Amino acid sequence: MKITRRQLAGALAAGAVRTAAQTPEEPRKTPADRISQNVSALAKVKIPMAVEPAFLFKAQ
Amino acid sequence: MSEFGDDVFFATIGELGAKLRARELSSVELTRATLDRLERLGPRYNALALLLRDSALKRARDADDDFKRDRLRGPLQGIPYGAKDLLSLASKPTTWGARPYAAQVFDYTATVLEKLHKARAPLAAKLAMVELAGAGSYRYASASMFGPGVNPWNPERWSGGSSSGSGSAVAAGLVPFALGSETWGSILTPSAYCGVTGLRPTYGLVSRHGAMPLSWTMDKIGPMCRSAEDCAFVLGAIAGGDSNDPGSAGKSFYYTPNSVTDFSAIQTGFAPVDFEGWADPAARPDFLKALQTFREIGVPMRETSLPEFPYSALASVVIAAEGSAVFEPLVQSGQVGELADQTQIAGLKAGLEIAAKDYLRAMRARRLLQEAFRKMFTEFDVLISASRLGPATRISDPLDQSAANRPAPKQLGLTSLGAAGNLAGLPALSLPCGFAEGLPIAIQLVGRPFSENKLLALGREFQKRTDWHRRRPPVPPRT
Repeated sequence: MKITRRQLAGALAAGAVRTAAQTPEEPRKTPADRISQNVSALAKVKIPMAVEPAFLFKAQ
Repeated sequence: MSEFGDDVFFATIGELGAKLRARELSSVELTRATLDRLERLGPRYNALALLLRDSALKRARDADDDFKRDRLRGPLQGIPYGAKDLLSLASKPTTWGARPYAAQVFDYTATVLEKLHKARAPLAAKLAMVELAGAGSYRYASASMFGPGVNPWNPERWSGGSSSGSGSAVAAGLVPFALGSETWGSILTPSAYCGVTGLRPTYGLVSRHGAMPLSWTMDKIGPMCRSAEDCAFVLGAIAGGDSNDPGSAGKSFYYTPNSVTDFSAIQTGFAPVDFEGWADPAARPDFLKALQTFREIGVPMRETSLPEFPYSALASVVIAAEGSAVFEPLVQSGQVGELADQTQIAGLKAGLEIAAKDYLRAMRARRLLQEAFRKMFTEFDVLISASRLGPATRISDPLDQSAANRPAPKQLGLTSLGAAGNLAGLPALSLPCGFAEGLPIAIQLVGRPFSENKLLALGREFQKRTDWHRRRPPVPPRT
């Protein structure tokens, strides 16, 4: 799970509006670019095979 | 036109309730004055979605009838309020702040509004919000069919979103309290920016039946008020299990104000870098004073940091995938193009392209995150961080430019607590704690699931020792 400080700082500054922070010299990312960047960040999280998603189906 | 002074419009629920029970004031008088004020000032802040004069006055008469017969229904009886326009009210428009839904009318009422009806609180108005509560992510404060939320403290600044009308209406004394909703920051941000006290309840504690879905696994509804105690009164009325909400935890909330007698037993974690490194420099002095107040209360404060996760990426993927799935019909119909914010339009479209494996990866990582927080809360009862790192942004500024020019400190501290707390479904209380650039700033308390009483007790104690929550913005004079 290695993320650069710049990536994390950008994500943190976004807060409620969920848009990546940017420095003036960086071109603005499109929503599709941001999703791709977020998916890449998630791909670095090591998840044991037994871990189930955080939602639960209940038989009723 | 009412003859009430500002003291009534800025009174707490507790203060208004005492006047109503003592018959110094009737609910009809209070509600009529509230409606007049909403009508006069609401548009200045782009806060008003729909005034509900007739139905509110009818409810107020019912509340007064109950007072006359000594039928006491609880602390909200006779107190008018506003609700974010993402909550359905049968046979009235529910716009979700978005032009494609401007004429939308449901034939049922949201559970939270039904509960407040039963508590005899008259619903005075539906309040404006960011379109679709920002489901597709938005770039400008103007992302609403009502226009940008205007901050009562400075009309050039944003009220925050997405519960923008709820924040500015409470701050400007237009309603004694309001309901907002939060998926990621939508109660805490406008509460912080507008200088009101906001509570994000534990996921599942408050029914979302009748609320616009954005992210099924992250949506919460909560109160925005003048004090922590007011939030407790409102939460007591709206919490509870609901078979109509699949996410309902089936739990209730009973406010026990004296349940915490020993604040020295509340183990509290904080990160100095949040306040000394990440926070806006203008906000640092008051943030540090707020920390000192908690020390004076007697809570043991230890430095900590969050477990390592890509919180922002995680929350973004979950919300984008779920939100785009919710609004797929809007995208497919082409009506998505009627939204006000181009980034939001593009975001809703892009979210539909998230692969199932990536969404599932996010939801599995979220399980690990939840476990990491469970461990963290064996050591701590409460985590403290800034609600927002600085004051409200300018209305005209792109929202993705704020804080872009400050160098990033080395440690992350607890600055991701907003994303983390929402991902883990944790309750949070935002308390006004000072000013920067003439605008309110706030601190947030986050606890383990269903620990609202602890957060509220600590918040109430903080507000006994400070008067930030009592400050009033410069409301325009009558013309």
